[in-house]
This record gives sequence, C-alpha cells and structure tokens, in this order.
Amino acid sequence: MNVLALEFPPVNHLFDWPSIWFDGTLFAINKTVLIYLGSMLVTMVIFTLAGRQRDSLVPSGVQHVAESGVTFVEESVVMQTIGPDGKKFMPFLTTMFFFILFSNITEVIPFLQFPANSRMAIPITLAIVVWCIYNFVGVQSQGFFGYLKNSLFPPGVPKALYIIVTPIELVSTFVVRPFSLAIRLWANMVAGHLLLVTFAILSATMWDAGGPGYAGALVLSWPMLILMTGFEILVSVLQAFIFTILTAVYIGGSMHPEH
Amino acid sequence: MTRRIRHIAGALGLITVAVVALAAPAGASGETIGGCAIDKAIEAEEHLPSLHEIHDEEFEAEFEALEKEMESCLEAPSAIIPELDEIIWGGTAFLVLFGFMVWKGFPAVQGAMNARADRIAADLDAAEQAKVDAVKIKTDHEAELSGAKAEAAGIIDDARAQADQLKGELQARANEEVAEMRARAAADLESARSQAISDLRGDVSQIAVGAAEAVIKANLDRDAQSALVNAYIDEVAGRG
Repeated sequence: MNVLALEFPPVNHLFDWPSIWFDGTLFAINKTVLIYLGSMLVTMVIFTLAGRQRDSLVPSGVQHVAESGVTFVEESVVMQTIGPDGKKFMPFLTTMFFFILFSNITEVIPFLQFPANSRMAIPITLAIVVWCIYNFVGVQSQGFFGYLKNSLFPPGVPKALYIIVTPIELVSTFVVRPFSLAIRLWANMVAGHLLLVTFAILSATMWDAGGPGYAGALVLSWPMLILMTGFEILVSVLQAFIFTILTAVYIGGSMHPEH
Repeated sequence: MTRRIRHIAGALGLITVAVVALAAPAGASGETIGGCAIDKAIEAEEHLPSLHEIHDEEFEAEFEALEKEMESCLEAPSAIIPELDEIIWGGTAFLVLFGFMVWKGFPAVQGAMNARADRIAADLDAAEQAKVDAVKIKTDHEAELSGAKAEAAGIIDDARAQADQLKGELQARANEEVAEMRARAAADLESARSQAISDLRGDVSQIAVGAAEAVIKANLDRDAQSALVNAYIDEVAGRG
C-alpha cells in the first residue's frame, strides 16, 4: 500500500501471523497463541508468588501487582456494579482482567509488539462466555419468564414506550451485547497497533531518506511514536478494565433488574 | 516461601520466557510481499510454455493469470474473522487460568490479604489495649501523685505549726530569762550602789574629821587655812 510515498504493508498483513508449529491443523500455534499462553503463565506466576508472601506487612513486587489487581477488581468493578453479592464472581472477573491486560500489553513490549486481542479469537470467545454467564445468572435469579419480562419490559418505563423499548432491548441484550463487547476490545487494539506501526514505519522511512528526513523523523514521527506507546499502555489497561466492568454490569443487571 | 513453590514458580517463569522468546521472532504474514511475488513468478515461469509456441491471446491469458496470482500475495485472512486454532488455544489458556485462579491463585492472594488485614487489626487492637493500659497507669500515677502532694502539704502544715509553737515557747522562755537577768542585774546594781554610798559616806566622814583636825591644828590665818585644806585635799586625792 502506497500512502504519501510511504510503503505501508496491507493492513491484514499486520495481524496475520504464520503458524510456527502444527501448521494446517486445528492446533496450529502462531505468535498470537504464544502470547495467549504467555499471558496465562505470567498471571499464574504472579499469583503463585503473591499468594506465598504472607509475612510482609507491606506488599511489594509481584505481590503488589496481584493484590492491587484484586483490590481494583473488587472495589472499582464488583462493588460498584453488582455489590456484595458479586464477590462470588471475583475469581472470574480477576482472571478476565489479568488475561486481557497481559494479552493487550504485549503491544508495547519490545520484540513482541503485538496485542493478541487485535485478533478476534479471544474477544469474541470471552464475549460469548460473558453472554452465557449473564443470561444464566438472570434466569437463576429471576426465573426464565421473570428474566425475559424484566429484560424486554424494563420496570419504570411508561407502557406506551414498550413498543419502541422492547425491540431495542431484545436486540441489545440478547444479540448486540456480545458483539459490541468483543468489537470494542478488538477494534481498540487494532487501532492502537496500526497507530504504532504507522509511526514506526514513518520514523524508519524518514530516517532512511536522510537530509531533512532526519529532522522530520527526530522532531515529528519519533516523538509521536513514543507518545503513542505511552498512550497505548493506557489503552491496554483501560480496555481490560472496560471489558471487565461491562461484564460486571451485565451480570449485575441480570441479578438485580430493579437497578 | 517453600522450596516446592519456588521450583514451580521458577519453572513457570522459564516457560513464560521461552514462550515470549518464541513469540518475538515470528513475523506477520510469514513472508514478504516481494518474496511471495517472486515465488509466484518462478512458479508461473515453470508452467509457462515457450514463448514461440503460444499465440498472443494465450500469452495474455497466462499473464492475466500470473497477475492475479501475484495480487493474491497482498491478500490475507480477514482480521475480524476469528481463527479456529486461536480460539481453541486462547480459550483453553483462559479456562486453564480460570481453573488455576479458582483452585489456587485467587484464594492464596485473597488469603494473604485477609491474613494481613487480620494481623493489622490485631496490631491495632493491641495498640488500643496498650493505650488504654497506659491511660490507666497514668491515671493511677496522677492519683498517687495528688495523694502524695496532699500528704506532703499536710506534713508541711504540721511542721509549720510545730515550728510556730516551738518558736513561741522559745520566745517566751527567752523573754523570761531576759526579765530574770534584768531583775538580777537591777538587784546587783542596787546592791553595788548601796555599797558605794555606804563606802562614800565612811570616806566623807573620815575626810571631814581629818579636815577638821587639820584646821584645828593649824589655827592660823586665812591663807594658811586654805593652804592646809588644799594640802589635805591633795593628800586625800593622792590616796584615792
């Protein structure tokens, strides 16, 4: 792709990774898969180490990471959206937060530099899991018909508005939610990766051009690359938080329809 | 941390490093667009009959086919369609992690946090108890101190009263002694005066008698009498 005289690779090529092992099978392993496995292992290591440090009065190192995450999920997600009833979902929500976070943050880790969630696999898988959970919780808490009634006919809405609200709620709650949840995460990570790739290629191309290109690379594109790298760290954390809190909001809504 | 846990964490860490190291060099889309195009061209050349054996129409058709083949080098699977292998591995990784978190990770961290919270609460309780004890000790000490102060004040008052009483007694006794001494001195003085008067009276009588004797003895003129009297007086004065 030739944009502004820059050779830019086709967008799909930035996200399609070849298989390293088991090519052509259902168990093919590529970079995206390795990042997912890495995220799983890193979370396991952190929680294994953190769970063992019971003697220190002030948390430090990985213990601080794990405990901050757990406290954050408990106080900023569960207690704000579900309430004390939601503490039973803490392991699920904490797992989700850390798994998404570590799959996102590889975007800015040197030599990895790819957010695994810019592939649709995990965003859509987790979104479907979330869809199953909040519907199950809704049926369990309110009964099948009660859940259906409260979802399609939200309490407190004037009856005349049900003509408009009910179809919207039907589509929104049972069809759109998993896709909006998945696409929000996926699209943010795709956009972030594209931004970083754009400024990286721009920096390299201007530098290679020499002459005024040196100044352009040093003054414009390279500082922007650094700025965007910092911004993408924020986006990685924020998207993990948004996915987790929306999950909690959906579960909370299924448990307490009056809210 | 037990040795077993350290070994497990170390092993997991090594696996993580290996996974990251393996993930790093993998290149997006596998081969470069140029490399793909060259491969396609070589492949086409192998299948292309000799140029002089085909007509222009066939030649154009072959080149159109080659162009399409080369354009396919720009294609890649849609980024929005999830790959099944990634769903399988990613979903399994999430499930394994969730299982680990439910079984071990989350309870361990939550337990560590609760243990710390309990310890801090116990420390705070102990500090509160120590504070209460200290306040009690301080109150006791203050009570003892005020008792001691009252006792000291009583002792001082008693001592002061005793001192005043003693002072009064001593003063009275001193006054008595002074009065006695004065009386005794007055008596002594009176006695000495009486003695002196008595002695003086005897001396005057003798002087008078002596003077009279001298006057009579001389019986002379006025000048001679005066000289005699004066001589006698000088004599008496010389005797005294």
